[in-house]
Amino acid sequence: MRLMRASEIIKRPVVTMRGDDIAQVKDIVYSAHGGAVGGFTLAGRGMFAGPMKLGLTWHAVVALGADAVMISDESALEATSVVFDAAATGRGGGDVLGSQVLTDSGVDLGIVIDVIIAVSETLGGQCDVVGYEIEASVALGTKGTKLLIPLPGTITASAEHLMVPASAKDFVSHDLAGFGAAVTAFRAQLEGAG
Amino acid sequence: MQWWAWLVVALAAIVLLVGAVLAVQARRRRGGVIVDRSSRRANRPTGGST
Repeated sequence: MRLMRASEIIKRPVVTMRGDDIAQVKDIVYSAHGGAVGGFTLAGRGMFAGPMKLGLTWHAVVALGADAVMISDESALEATSVVFDAAATGRGGGDVLGSQVLTDSGVDLGIVIDVIIAVSETLGGQCDVVGYEIEASVALGTKGTKLLIPLPGTITASAEHLMVPASAKDFVSHDLAGFGAAVTAFRAQLEGAG
Repeated sequence: MQWWAWLVVALAAIVLLVGAVLAVQARRRRGGVIVDRSSRRANRPTGGST
């Protein structure tokens, strides 16, 4: 699994195997039920191009490279509603960037400034949201610093807040290098407690 | 008003208009990460409450 920030994927060009640069990633849509990324909404290329009515489901992505999202051809694009269906959001979603992260014991951990995504290296593999990058609150003892906080397998999001188990603050990381291990340890700890 | 004053006003108006259009476009194109917030599910056991 390869970890990356959502901000690295947003605005990445969508290129067909023929080399046509047809769109760029606008939003990443993921399911609260397990964190699986359903796909991307798209914006047109060029300064004056707005959001597109077509989206891209994760299953239609051939490769998520460092510089481009590769698809077979333009027929891989589908209506945006299909992307939301793939993420099972039913369009009831909201942007998590800027949202407050609360523990289930009611402690404010900080504000989400980015989302950490685990991408399978194999073709047709999973793409899951596994953590948030937050601007830490006083509760973490390092107010204002950027920290990575792992998420459980099932993410809980209320109308205004993102909820995490209180034990998540014991598994925070400062960089992506050790974050994969932190996510694994955190989830193992939850399963052990369950 | 002198002719050059009209010119300055016209140029300022054009700059403001272009700036406003670009700002609206940037807002429309701004990306995000969207999750379903409408689901109200019970939390799984959390393994601690420190």
